Amino acid sequence: MSTEPTFEDAQRELEQIVERLERGEAGLDEAIKLWERGEELYKLCVGRLDAAHGRIEELARRAESARP
Amino acid sequence: MSKVEAIQYGDRKVYAVAAFNRGVAEWLQRLPTVWVEGEVTELRRNARWQSVFFTLKDPNDGACLGVTIARNRFDALRLDLAEGERVHVFGRPELFEARGDFRMRALSIERFGLGDHLAALERLKKKLAAEGVFERKRPLPFLPRRIGLVTGNDAAAKKDVLTTISSRFPAARIVVAETLVQGPLAANAMIEALRAIATAPEVDVVVLSRGGGSFEDLLPFSDEKLVRTIATCPVPVVSAVGHEQDNPLCDFAADVRASTPTAAARLVVPDAAELLARLDRTRSGLARGARGMVDRRRERLVQVHDRLRRAPSLAVERKRARLEHAAGRLRALSPRATLERGYAIVRTHDEIVRTTSAVSSGDELEVEVADGRFGARVE
Repeated sequence: MSTEPTFEDAQRELEQIVERLERGEAGLDEAIKLWERGEELYKLCVGRLDAAHGRIEELARRAESARP
Repeated sequence: MSKVEAIQYGDRKVYAVAAFNRGVAEWLQRLPTVWVEGEVTELRRNARWQSVFFTLKDPNDGACLGVTIARNRFDALRLDLAEGERVHVFGRPELFEARGDFRMRALSIERFGLGDHLAALERLKKKLAAEGVFERKRPLPFLPRRIGLVTGNDAAAKKDVLTTISSRFPAARIVVAETLVQGPLAANAMIEALRAIATAPEVDVVVLSRGGGSFEDLLPFSDEKLVRTIATCPVPVVSAVGHEQDNPLCDFAADVRASTPTAAARLVVPDAAELLARLDRTRSGLARGARGMVDRRRERLVQVHDRLRRAPSLAVERKRARLEHAAGRLRALSPRATLERGYAIVRTHDEIVRTTSAVSSGDELEVEVADGRFGARVE
């Protein structure tokens, strides 16, 4: 995949991976690969949330200081 | 009745002025006595005069009627009439012959009582209601550009409105029209003030305000023309006249009725402090909403991550369990179970002995039973 997935797409893929692992469908080697992919998706999602949180706090601070 | 003599000029009959007046006067005297209602104006009483004079005025269209009454009769009534007071006059029409003045000769005068006022107001109210004069109710503007205030020059009501408006919304702009609010001239003065202020530039709402007063004091606020002017006013009108229990007709015609001048002021401008507080609450709600959204997503992510963390070891454990299960079955299939039933495995030179010919006397043997091995010799 050349472009980064959206937060929602990444979250969905992560959830599908977890379900797959929990059902025990995957072979051992595949399970390890899935797990690695899952961790990667998790980091991506957390990064997105941190960025969103930072932006919200920034805006809230700016709104606070602009109070008449 | 004396005969009115005419002078004969050929075939033309001509009357002297005095004769003409007398003729008309005599004719008028034949009319019956009646009651006439009006407002007393221009009352003239002089101790040297035989009669008292006043003008009876129609409050609706200003039509006038001169009235005379014998001074002793007037004094006996002890009416103490004031200008503009409404009365019923009992009498008959009369011509003052010397001047040709038409007037009414009063025999009695009755003050128009409270009950009469109430009945008249009730009739007027019903009439106006039937015409739909009280039906128009427009919403007040949220933030009027300018506020028109029609009020008496009595300090209290005006000050109440002005201070309340400026404390709630300091930036409000108010145009004040001071006018008469009491007495016979009040209704017309208020009509003029109301018309002028309602058409002044940027005036978006008008407050008609007057402090408390007696029933008679508030009568001008029930004047039919004033009520109609309010009902057709181009901008919404708030009526704030008298106290809660007073119900002058202007209250019904106004778009909104306020119980007091202060209440009217609260109606025409929003409370700036409250507006700001509400805006602040909305804004913090906005930030709260945005934070909450991130928080909910993070929570869901953490949960799924926990599951992800557990999932590989779970998968390994599951495979291990399957392995153990297989091992268990494997073990169950081994000969060990047979040994436990009392059988033994006999080996010589690491070969399992299956036939008697496989061994000869003196051979070393190894015997395996359920709990271990021991040595033996063939005899």
